Amino acid sequence: MAPTLELYTRKIGHPEWEEPFVVNMGPQHPSTHGVLRLYLELDGETVVRCDPRIGYLHRGLEKLSENMTYTQAMVLTDRLDYISSAANNTGYCLAVEKLLGLEVPRRARLLRTIVCEMARISSHLLWLATHALDIGAMTVFLYCFRDREWLLDIYEKICGARLTVSYPRIGGVRLDFTSEIIDELYQFTEEFPTRITDYETLIDVNRIWLRRTKGIAVVPPEKALNMGLTGPSLRGSGVPYDVRKFRPYDAYDEVEFEVPVGKNGDTYDRYRVRMEEMRQANRIIRQCLDKLAQTEGEPVVAEGAPDLLMPEKKKAPRAVPHPKKGFMVKGEEVPVVPEGEVYVSIEAPKGELGYYIVSDGSGKPWRVRVRAPSFVHISAIPEMVKGHMVADIIAVIGTLDVVLGECDR
Amino acid sequence: MNPIRTIFLTEIGKGLWLTLRKMFSRPVTVQYPEERKPVAPGFRGRHALVRDPETGRERCIGCLRCAKVCPSRCIYIETERDPETKRMVVKRYEVEVLRCVFCGYCEEVCPVNAIVLTEFYEYVGYRREDLYFDKERLLANWDEFLTTQKRPYFNPYWKPRGVPEKMLPAPKRKAEGV
Ligand code: SF4
Ligand code: SF4
Repeated sequence: MAPTLELYTRKIGHPEWEEPFVVNMGPQHPSTHGVLRLYLELDGETVVRCDPRIGYLHRGLEKLSENMTYTQAMVLTDRLDYISSAANNTGYCLAVEKLLGLEVPRRARLLRTIVCEMARISSHLLWLATHALDIGAMTVFLYCFRDREWLLDIYEKICGARLTVSYPRIGGVRLDFTSEIIDELYQFTEEFPTRITDYETLIDVNRIWLRRTKGIAVVPPEKALNMGLTGPSLRGSGVPYDVRKFRPYDAYDEVEFEVPVGKNGDTYDRYRVRMEEMRQANRIIRQCLDKLAQTEGEPVVAEGAPDLLMPEKKKAPRAVPHPKKGFMVKGEEVPVVPEGEVYVSIEAPKGELGYYIVSDGSGKPWRVRVRAPSFVHISAIPEMVKGHMVADIIAVIGTLDVVLGECDR
Repeated sequence: MNPIRTIFLTEIGKGLWLTLRKMFSRPVTVQYPEERKPVAPGFRGRHALVRDPETGRERCIGCLRCAKVCPSRCIYIETERDPETKRMVVKRYEVEVLRCVFCGYCEEVCPVNAIVLTEFYEYVGYRREDLYFDKERLLANWDEFLTTQKRPYFNPYWKPRGVPEKMLPAPKRKAEGV
């Protein structure tokens, strides 16, 4: 028998029978920064449940690198967080260098620090641009892209590519800077602080911006630590954790900088932290440029760094010479990269980016595992959006600064 | 919020003043098809095989290093021995550009600087075959590229700046422009 009208109305009114209103946000939504899909259950406009569904950009980078030599696998790390590829490369190279026990020359360390901080600025600029656009500020978007373009041009001059730079290499960097690049970087660092002031004039105290960001997605410090947030998202909650200070790599122990922290842990504080970080990054680049002059003419690749064309297997010369051919005949197999495992983490623009590499002695990594900040940050979205409006989800995705290339890998 | 700011909309006025000022500054937009930005030397764009000015043939000696180092494995090379001169010659040299990741490893690793990623970036095709370069096409790319360049042309990756000489293979140490 068909349900009577009475039964039907009873069903709707009954809390157990009532079905939530389900909305799929993404994967083609323009504000989900890539291909993030959020499964939302709504009560009116309030989020009851949020369930991120990831994997749309999965390319199997970790598995792919098992079939490549260490130098070849570095090219893949460009595609993790494609906005700050130089930082990803550096993290990977640091991990392999630790495995090999290589000492990187000072000039190469300075150069890497510069490109890492350039990556931080360009990543934060893109973040500010899209975050502001999502919340409704168009002008900031255009200004940020104008300045990011300048940085990309400098990248192009440094290494010939704008986005997927592949600039660091195991044991150093691939090319030295020319004097024009250094001059242009001086010019950039000279001018950039005024540009930041411009963005702040536009949105810092703007009433629409304040209403959309103040008190949205508040994360207390303990909760931020429990959820595994790192980088600016954690520092916005007032925890001064920064890998650059705690375990300095490259040239970060030589330069002076501050780690900005927020107070309330809301979207506005995270915005403030990132803006301050851009200023500090600018300062770091400036100091590194000054130090570069002291290392003029030094090599940028470590002694004994692996060749680009790394062998998969290596045979040592024979200890006892061959009666006719002497030492030319190869003997026992020796490890190309020492056996062992390492974990190295760096402060990528999005948070703590870690590489865990297991080596079995051959020229190919046995296992590469990437601890991607975006992956952890996406798992924090359900907690942060609970009880907020649908429009605030956009603000939350923006404030966590997730990149799906890194999350899905 | 500060009450004066609320009533007089000062922050919005300041923002508008900034955008108004920017209206009279020099525009940074590049009207792309008509205007082009200069490409930095050493840009990693379309592939080309260097034509040796003396012999008129490709410089490549078929050592397969580039095919081996390529992370996306998109270079295919076949060599054979010339029956007359008894030298190895390259029979096939093909690059599948659709798979290339433009890392520049091939030009850095080549001992005789035979392959180069040119500064040419506008190449599209309607079919996959249009972007599958064989040897003739790669040499033609080089000829086309050289007409736009100041001679002698030298790619930064042919002899990377700052890399100690003893780490480079012998022909690369005394590499010269074409
Ligand atoms: S640029 Fe890189 S991916 Fe492309 S052909 Fe050369 S080595 Fe291969
Ligand atoms: S590395 Fe150079 S010489 Fe060797 S095969 Fe490749 S292009 Fe030819």
